[in-house]
Amino acid sequence: MAGAERSTQPRLSSRRLLLIFALLAGVLVAFLAVQNLSSNAVYYLTPTEARDRKIAPGTPIRLGGLVVPGTLKYDPQSRTLVFGISDGTTNVAVLGTGAPPALLQENAGAVVEGQFGEDGIFRASSVIAKHDEKYAPPSPGRTPTHGTP
Amino acid sequence: MSWADFGSGALRAALPVAIWGCGAAIYAASKRDGRALASARWSALLALVLVVLAVLAMEGALVSHDFTIQYVAENNARATPLFFTVISLWAALAGSILLWTLVLAGATAYVAWRGTRELPRLGTTALAVLLGMVSFFLLLVTTPAADPFVRIDPPLDGNGPNPLLQNHPLMALHPPLLYLGYVLFSVPFAYAIASLVLGEGGDRWLVATRRFALVSWGLLGVGIVAGSWWSYAVLGWGGYWAWDPVENAAIMPWLVATAYLHSVMVEEKRRLLRSWNLSLVIATFALTILGTFLTRSGVVNSVHSFTQSAIGPLLLGYLVVILVLSVGLLLWRLPMLSDRGGVGAPLSREAIFLFQNVVFVAATLTVLLGTLYPIIAEAISGQQLSIGRPYFDRVEVPLALALLFLMGIGPQLPWHGAPRATLERQFTVPIVAAAGGALVAVLAGINGAFAVLTYALAAFVAATVVQEFARGMRARQVLHGEGRATALANLLRRSGRRYGGYIVHLGIVVIAVAVATSQAGTVQLEKTISTGQSAQVGPYTVTLTALRDATEPQRDLLVADLSVTGNGANEQLHPALVFYPNSTQAVGSPGIAAGARDDIYTILAAYDSRAHAWATIRVLVIPLVSWLWLGGLVVGIGAVIAALPQPKRRTVAERVAPLAVGTSAK
Repeated sequence: MAGAERSTQPRLSSRRLLLIFALLAGVLVAFLAVQNLSSNAVYYLTPTEARDRKIAPGTPIRLGGLVVPGTLKYDPQSRTLVFGISDGTTNVAVLGTGAPPALLQENAGAVVEGQFGEDGIFRASSVIAKHDEKYAPPSPGRTPTHGTP
Repeated sequence: MSWADFGSGALRAALPVAIWGCGAAIYAASKRDGRALASARWSALLALVLVVLAVLAMEGALVSHDFTIQYVAENNARATPLFFTVISLWAALAGSILLWTLVLAGATAYVAWRGTRELPRLGTTALAVLLGMVSFFLLLVTTPAADPFVRIDPPLDGNGPNPLLQNHPLMALHPPLLYLGYVLFSVPFAYAIASLVLGEGGDRWLVATRRFALVSWGLLGVGIVAGSWWSYAVLGWGGYWAWDPVENAAIMPWLVATAYLHSVMVEEKRRLLRSWNLSLVIATFALTILGTFLTRSGVVNSVHSFTQSAIGPLLLGYLVVILVLSVGLLLWRLPMLSDRGGVGAPLSREAIFLFQNVVFVAATLTVLLGTLYPIIAEAISGQQLSIGRPYFDRVEVPLALALLFLMGIGPQLPWHGAPRATLERQFTVPIVAAAGGALVAVLAGINGAFAVLTYALAAFVAATVVQEFARGMRARQVLHGEGRATALANLLRRSGRRYGGYIVHLGIVVIAVAVATSQAGTVQLEKTISTGQSAQVGPYTVTLTALRDATEPQRDLLVADLSVTGNGANEQLHPALVFYPNSTQAVGSPGIAAGARDDIYTILAAYDSRAHAWATIRVLVIPLVSWLWLGGLVVGIGAVIAALPQPKRRTVAERVAPLAVGTSAK
């Protein structure tokens, strides 16, 4: 603790010391921020964009599209989740682990985060159902449908 | 007359009143005209009354299910319980802006009738600024972008509130707290602008609005914690903070406001940092508007995207005007804001506060960078991307630890600088406590260097606070012959600002420990089990006893009945999937057994829809997470104690006589 010595020094130099501290801290934080920003930027692509850009296997990306009807399958024992997502042009097979989110449905939007494997199948580390922003007008007499397919 | 006519009539009448009042206040401030001031005052009050009437009309429409109003049709249904009907006022954009307008009009009326009496010229100028803002918000709620009373052809039944918003009573608390916090900061901002306009070099604006800033800050802080609690209890992912843009929008103004509350003391005690404090107030206010813009315009892709609307350009315009005007004013007045003297030694309270300010601003800027970067990148390159959570964790956690460290040092140092003896006296016990904290963390099996460091720093800060309380109480016991309890009560009452602040620090310590422990020590398991089977998670055994359907008036549920035993627990939990008739989505509703040691958090992830024979459940054992909400409460209590009016200082003669009852507070 060198406070006693420092406080007896002339004011200008302690001010300068503070300034240097602050600048150092600023540079450190800026470095930390910029470095982490570039390493954690995850691109958000459609299946077609991902195909056109030839995204290398292993690069973390997010894919957005609609769940292709008839493809959503969940095996409860192995907890394997398989489905296809599509942007209308390109289909991508997605393989995930764990139960599908409650909001995930066929023909509804989904965003998957993960990476392509060498086999071209997308390994999803997270699956997010993209819920619609506006609710459709209610249809009279409609009962809620239960269950995950 | 319908609710819609009544409500929209009230808002349309309030707009010219507010504009007139703004003009009258400007005239009153520049000509020192008493009649114009009276006119401005009555305008502010009348505008408030009209907005209150509009809010009542909206509530009337909601409660009576008047589906001729689009907002009611979209956010209410006949089966919606009364409680959620009433709080549907803030379930969507237009109602939220109406609530915002109400709070702003209330604060404006308060300034009109109290503030202009305390400081006539400054208060009147601030009133003009506030009435200008009220006018803007009234303009918003009377344009199609955010008109809450737009009429439609009535459907037979409404959509009901967003399922996520009618699943938990915390929804009644969290948005209004945030709005109050956001909006009340308009008052310090208005006074700061008034001070710049009038060219006052002093800190009168700051003293006059100290309490407003503190209350606003406290509400925002408690609102943020309540929001994370809501997220935890409703969204069913087992977490409470995701660095979602909506969360960032709330925490950024809170961070800058925290910096401001501390640097204010430097200005009061040392007459330093004047332009800095003005900048912080402007930045806080601008961030509240930016937050509203980000969350309400749908510019950011986020789970809160239900609040998209055409309001974006208007809010952005408002933000730009505010920034240009206030920064321009600040630059114009900069010459008269120069500080006298400088910061003393590096180990003085002002130096630590300054350093703390730098860290708070750095934290804000890095959150801002991570939040805006995707938008900027998309605007420039057309490429959509997102910034992953690790960015925020890696950048903000070290900054938070630095702040925790400074929180233990700053209040312990005297102004101007400390001699060595003082340092030893102040820091011996806390340093020993820090070592003890680290030891406890290691013995308790806490993983991760950051988590152990958090424990050490938390113990360090807690020890400084306890030490301060002990010394303060001992001083009162010796000087006034008070008992322990009386000494504590008097300490809080007479020096509430200081000791309330220490209580806030204690709350932050509790939050830090809760966050570090829950992040580092969560155990989780996802497993598919048949009814009657069990799963082992940490020390607990979770048994699926039944899967059953349940029906409530406004919704259907599929419930998993779980029994949790082991480690002294015997709990029945009921995680469910909830189906609302007007929504195609099922909403997960977690089953939580909250405890002081840990929470058992269960989620029904999937189930056998045919025979109800199996379910995939996710179980998380999250240590100490309940202490996070408790820490938020402690922060709130500390803020209240700090904001309460302190009794006037008594004369020496009075102080010598050990009277139990002080002079009555004003």
